[in-house]
Amino acid sequence: MFEEILEDTAQTNGLREVNTYVKLMTGLGGIILCLLSASYVGPLVIALIFTVSLLVLAKIDPWVYFELFLAPFWFAVFSVAVIVLISGGAHVLWEWHITSWFTLSVTEESINQGFYLFCRVIGGMSSLFFIALTTPMTDLFSVMKRCRVPDIVIDLAMIIYRTIFILASQIVQVYRAQVMRLGYSGWRESIHSFATLAGSAFIASWNSGEDLIRAMDARCYAGKFAMLGELRPVECLPLAASIAFLAFSALVIALTGTYTLIQVVP
Amino acid sequence: MKGIILEARNVSFRYPRGMEAIRDISFHIRKQEKIALVGANGAGKSTLLSMFNGMIRPDSGTLLVDNEPVRYDAASLRKIRKNVGFVLQNPDRQLIAPTVYQDVAFGPVNLGYSEEQVKESVALALHRVGLEGFGRRPIHHLSGGEKKRAAIAGVLAMDPDVLVLDEPTTGLDPAGSEDLMELLDELNHDGKTIVISTHDVELAYPWAHRAILLHKGKILAEDVPEVAFGNPDNIRTARLSVPILLDLHEELRKRGLKVPEGKPRTVLDMMGCIDSLLDKPCCHPSPGKIFVCNVDSDASSSLAGWVAGHPAIAIGAMGTRAKQRAEQEKYTLAFTYGVIDKCILRALLGHDTLILTTGTMVDHIFRRIGAYRDESGIPVDPVPVPEPAAQTGTQAGVHP
Repeated sequence: MFEEILEDTAQTNGLREVNTYVKLMTGLGGIILCLLSASYVGPLVIALIFTVSLLVLAKIDPWVYFELFLAPFWFAVFSVAVIVLISGGAHVLWEWHITSWFTLSVTEESINQGFYLFCRVIGGMSSLFFIALTTPMTDLFSVMKRCRVPDIVIDLAMIIYRTIFILASQIVQVYRAQVMRLGYSGWRESIHSFATLAGSAFIASWNSGEDLIRAMDARCYAGKFAMLGELRPVECLPLAASIAFLAFSALVIALTGTYTLIQVVP
Repeated sequence: MKGIILEARNVSFRYPRGMEAIRDISFHIRKQEKIALVGANGAGKSTLLSMFNGMIRPDSGTLLVDNEPVRYDAASLRKIRKNVGFVLQNPDRQLIAPTVYQDVAFGPVNLGYSEEQVKESVALALHRVGLEGFGRRPIHHLSGGEKKRAAIAGVLAMDPDVLVLDEPTTGLDPAGSEDLMELLDELNHDGKTIVISTHDVELAYPWAHRAILLHKGKILAEDVPEVAFGNPDNIRTARLSVPILLDLHEELRKRGLKVPEGKPRTVLDMMGCIDSLLDKPCCHPSPGKIFVCNVDSDASSSLAGWVAGHPAIAIGAMGTRAKQRAEQEKYTLAFTYGVIDKCILRALLGHDTLILTTGTMVDHIFRRIGAYRDESGIPVDPVPVPEPAAQTGTQAGVHP
């Protein structure tokens, strides 16, 4: 299952023991820089650095990383395609008048705009993956606690996190049982099976909610949830690397200014 | 005889719109006993167990914990749940926090321990179940056996006097089940009263001090396992099966063979029965020695050298720390469950064995082997190693 791959990787990657704040600073810094960048160069550089560091430093399986990237990649491709077609510009390369009031066109400006957006998506995604693949959820809970997120939110988040895996495995079991009995062999069967799957998932989550209350009661629940002890100390090398990366990216963004893919002649 | 810690007096319970799950049951459990509650599916085992920590309130009758009737206000329930730790059948339902540390700390935090106390009790509990270093692991990364241990640690962290386990070996492989039963033995030696429910007769028979047979919410038999499982009518009614050693003993007796009256609990006992049939002990003329090493003692640091000097020796480990030590030293363990008996059996064949064990178990091993020697007359002797002072004792202890 997908969520388990993400969690497993986050728990076992090469940057697991680096201080959570440093990793969050790096990842969030990357996202902010991608948003600030006025040209496509900055986000591309950021995506490249994150990808290399994920593959080399964190020792993420390249195939896992590639597969993870596929979903946002295609999403970005299609969204950008629409933007390229509907945003206009002065230098028209291709156009199609569908009706008198609706025209699809590809212009130099729209290609620039689309490519810029595409790079920002890729840069942002790689920053997000950097956080998701190197920082387990359990460490984020500790950070949330320190950032004064209300206890009830954290407790709920922790219970949800724990329950996701139980529920997911139950759903997989039901799904397999349905497949084995040809539940998805046709269109009608698929709809019917999916409905039963959803129903049993609901019942399972309801039951596990009741179990949870019972289990918590049996262990003297009085409204408190333990937090995972201390975070890893901030070490010099990762901190320096993070600052160097952010500074370098900021410099690239400042220098590349308003570079565009196609030089539009005014 | 020790004092009573749990008691039920005329307890009945009916599920809403259901049949009566518990019908007028009375019994008691003494401190430091190992009790097996045995019955078929739906006999009421889990219902009865859940009453001990106030999860289910009986319709009539009284439950007593430490000779005080259970009261159902919040404060009393907290006290009872601290003293009677309950381990559910499915560890996934019991483990609620995202990581092992957080889960084990759940009880202590809610009991209002200070941060230092919480850390201490979590460390101790994880140490006892052999999960040191697992604190930061998320629960869903654990194997079935590890989850079970984590669930037990979560209960142990509250330092209860009684441990109640519902079907503790469900879902574990045979080796995992044996490890778990060993752990329960170890906790029992540390002073905990242990109550388990099970329908695995072979598991309960050698383990329990007393067995309680349940059928349709009533107690069929309550006695030492030899007696409780020895009545075929009860066994049939309760939809269980006779333990294979008891069955064998009975078949031998039916054939007019003069087997001793004492019913065999273990393979070692059975060998004794067979020996008496053959009229001569079928053991080696010079039985092997059983070396006992306390891994908690300072002297055990020279263990590696000692083992290197005895290359072919079969090693057994009793207790979690002993098993960890064996893993560190990369010993192949020949026995991990029923270790003392297996070592005596080896000794009878003339082979030497080594038992790695923890401080609290040493006396027990010596007592157990001593009792066997006195009963059988076969000079099998435990020898502490690698303490050099014990060497003279070795020579004196072994007769031709």
